[in-house]
Amino acid sequence: MNKLVLIFSCAAATLLPRIIPYFASQYLAKLPRFIRKCMLLLPVAALGALIFPLALTDFDAEWVAGLAGVVSAFLVSYFKGPMIVAIIVALFMTTGVLMIL
Amino acid sequence: MAISGKEIREGAKDGFPIFLGYFTTALAFGLLTRTSGFTFVEGVLTSAVTFAGSGQFLMMNLYNAGSLLLSIIVSVFFINSRYIFMASSLSQRLLDPKSIAGRLMCGFGTVDEVFTVASFKGRKLSYSYMAGLIFISYIGWVSGTSIGFAAGTFLPEVVQKAAVITVYAMFASLLGAETRRNVKAILVASLSALLNSLFILVLNLSTGLSFLISMIAATIFGAFLYTDKEAGLE
Repeated sequence: MNKLVLIFSCAAATLLPRIIPYFASQYLAKLPRFIRKCMLLLPVAALGALIFPLALTDFDAEWVAGLAGVVSAFLVSYFKGPMIVAIIVALFMTTGVLMIL
Repeated sequence: MAISGKEIREGAKDGFPIFLGYFTTALAFGLLTRTSGFTFVEGVLTSAVTFAGSGQFLMMNLYNAGSLLLSIIVSVFFINSRYIFMASSLSQRLLDPKSIAGRLMCGFGTVDEVFTVASFKGRKLSYSYMAGLIFISYIGWVSGTSIGFAAGTFLPEVVQKAAVITVYAMFASLLGAETRRNVKAILVASLSALLNSLFILVLNLSTGLSFLISMIAATIFGAFLYTDKEAGLE
């Protein structure tokens, strides 16, 4: 298989779904109210599925390390900590659990 | 489209956690392209023109398994189909939805992490802000791929493993802040997390399809749960 054909066709299969909606945005803005509400809530819904189960399965048998990182980051931000602090705390928690296991 | 250095810097600052997470993930991708028989240029080109995490790993895995070109393209499209919804959603938050160059750039850069960070910014997004956010993420992805190809995953194993948490911690942090604003956020996110885990771990669905169904189901649940005002609908 020609690798350049592979690379560029996969790029197209990735980029077209991302780019086309931006050129339909004026039509999207005229969709029924409920659909527009859904578009606004999509980010919250995406977060759950972006975190689970991959944050656990990426660590295989040491999934507790992933859980510790995610939960600590959530809590830091819930109690008004800035994102960078949440990430540093998560890095320490995950590394700590990995070293214990 | 006016260019604002302040906005670019703010985007780059917000994107710094993405840079860290992408860089370390891309190291592994760069190494994978080398072990799959790609040249340095082909490996880096893949990241430079595609700019997608899971889609690129899927492409390499299928290529190594000797799949047909068409079936690779179809699989990559399906794992990327979630972007249709993310890009539609994000397009409604742009300050100036008209610029063609701006829209092309946002489309190119609508990856999961950029989408979430930008969506929770809590204000209309300028193209300068988006440029900063996308550029720093892109630099992390492409430089990580080149260094990964050349040097492998040179980081100590525990660092490499722990770095995986960076991006998930960023998602969890966004969710924590959103939950403080409105406790309903945790209910919506829990539903998509639960469905996605169930589909992947129990039903062995492909990650692309599983993610799409979970995200859409939780979105509809959220639309019933939130009032119009809470959702930000004028």
